[in-house]
Amino acid sequence: MLSIEEIQNILPQRFPFLMIDRVIELDPGKKVVAIKNVSMNEQFFSGHFPGKPVMPGVLITEAMAQTAIVLFASGKNTAQDKKMSYYLGSIKMRFLHPVSPGDQLKITVEPIKMLSNIAIVSAYAEASGKEVARGELSLSAKEG
Amino acid sequence: MQNIEEEIKNLIAEIIEKDPGQVTPEAKFFEDLGVDSMMALEILAAIEKKYKISIPEEKLAQLTTLAQTIAVAKEYLAQKEGSHA
Repeated sequence: MLSIEEIQNILPQRFPFLMIDRVIELDPGKKVVAIKNVSMNEQFFSGHFPGKPVMPGVLITEAMAQTAIVLFASGKNTAQDKKMSYYLGSIKMRFLHPVSPGDQLKITVEPIKMLSNIAIVSAYAEASGKEVARGELSLSAKEG
Repeated sequence: MQNIEEEIKNLIAEIIEKDPGQVTPEAKFFEDLGVDSMMALEILAAIEKKYKISIPEEKLAQLTTLAQTIAVAKEYLAQKEGSHA
């Protein structure tokens, strides 16, 4: 398990773009399960949509990508002080159910193929026992 | 396994978002087709999934043309079929 403090040691993202709150399962290089508590206080709900809050699919995807970074970073022995930048390369995603305030997103990411600087991962997200999104992401890491 | 060449060509064309006609056997992935290292890894992963084979990462550097990619895929398909015999 990783606390939000430990997550922030790995992820470069910060408010308002830190999309995971806690890592509840971590099998280095093999599997990461993270949660994101979705609250009405999220900034994006004021515009998406007024009177009908729905979490944007791209932000669910972002939560998956950040979970993938944790997976990526966990799989290798890079010094934590080395600054890494992460880039998404491609996304294939299907959204199955809307996510709204009060939901707890549970995001599971597993590698399909992982090299030292590139990874292709499969990801799925659940909320209230339902699968809300699933897909594949590829990302790369660069020093600096 | 009929026409593995055609299957791999179409699979590559889909990943790199080019017309299959542009993916000629000798067109260079990086110089001619704009493939980057991430797409190359996606091609490798897609071939592994389609043919249920495992290609070692060292082979990634050899995936530079359609002809090379087919050769690598066939090599590991032959190993797979050999192990079942």
